[in-house]
Amino acid sequence: MEEVTATVVIEGAGVGPEVAEATTAEKKGFKVVVAVDDSEISHYALSWAIDYVLANRREDCQLVVLHVQHFVETFMYPVAGHAVYAPTLSIDAVRKAHEENSKRVISRAVDICKSKHVDALTAVAEGDPKDAICEAAEKLHADLLVVGSRGLGMIKRAFLGSVSDYLAHHAKCPVLIVKPPKGSHK
Amino acid sequence: MAEVGSENTANKEAGAGAGVEKTAMVVGIDESDHSFYALQWTLRHFFSIPVPLFKLVVVSAKPTPSSVVGLAGPGAADVIPFVESDLRRSSLRVIEKAKELCNLHSVSDVVYEIHEGDARNVLCEAVEKHHADMLVVGSHGYGAIKRAVLGSVSDYCAHHAHCTVMIVKKPKQHKH
Repeated sequence: MEEVTATVVIEGAGVGPEVAEATTAEKKGFKVVVAVDDSEISHYALSWAIDYVLANRREDCQLVVLHVQHFVETFMYPVAGHAVYAPTLSIDAVRKAHEENSKRVISRAVDICKSKHVDALTAVAEGDPKDAICEAAEKLHADLLVVGSRGLGMIKRAFLGSVSDYLAHHAKCPVLIVKPPKGSHK
Repeated sequence: MAEVGSENTANKEAGAGAGVEKTAMVVGIDESDHSFYALQWTLRHFFSIPVPLFKLVVVSAKPTPSSVVGLAGPGAADVIPFVESDLRRSSLRVIEKAKELCNLHSVSDVVYEIHEGDARNVLCEAVEKHHADMLVVGSHGYGAIKRAVLGSVSDYCAHHAHCTVMIVKKPKQHKH
């Protein structure tokens, strides 16, 4: 249905020329990929992962913060009926808005990492979140994929969010699903 | 030595890695290879460090004899004691195997528990009881249809457990 072209762009947020290594060489050690988006829960998941998974073995763990950008539609359907190609200006505007959003999400995630003294690589993929995260995790040779899940709607514990549900079934590597802390009503 | 669990979220931020208080991690196992793979994976990646953050609680669910025997028939009452002892033996075997795995990875200070009932409920209750911050389950990797028919413990736990859930899948062909 929708095109899933997950293009993964890796940028080093920490010190060092580790850019190429992230995708090509299988770095020795434990690679943890945390998927983040705008939501509070995904940033909580990042904190949780740093505190409980990376914990006291930062040396041989590699953290990758992954953000999936919404796919920019190149055409739209005006009320009249048939699809037309969107004017370039509006595509650019939308794309720019998405990129701003991504930058914000990534920088917030990087701030969390920095405050906990963790060097993280960042990666941005485009496309449908479910597939893009799966694909990116494979490309990055993730040892563990971490996602937050607040559940669908207000019924927090009875249901799993659709992205984490999908990943639990389709990701090739182990998946860690972080729930909101007890007593919070997010 | 280490106190199990704390519901205090503020403590988690400060205490992780620095404090003596360990939070509990429940690992659900049964006879399947998948769950032992999950236990082994967890031991290898979370407990091979000098100071593990978690206190390991290994939980195995023992089905009730009545759920195994099915509808009560004329001979059911006689069969039940045999079924009961057989189930007990097999769950003890499971725990023995888990103990071996833990010893292999030099992890002592593990709590082993067998609870009777459906695995889904047993695991979620164990999480509550130990105030665990993490639950680990293996996954058979059933497709949608099999899952609908046979049910999935990992699915249920992922939805209903009140803590972080980790689903460890056994890779199909090769291990990387």
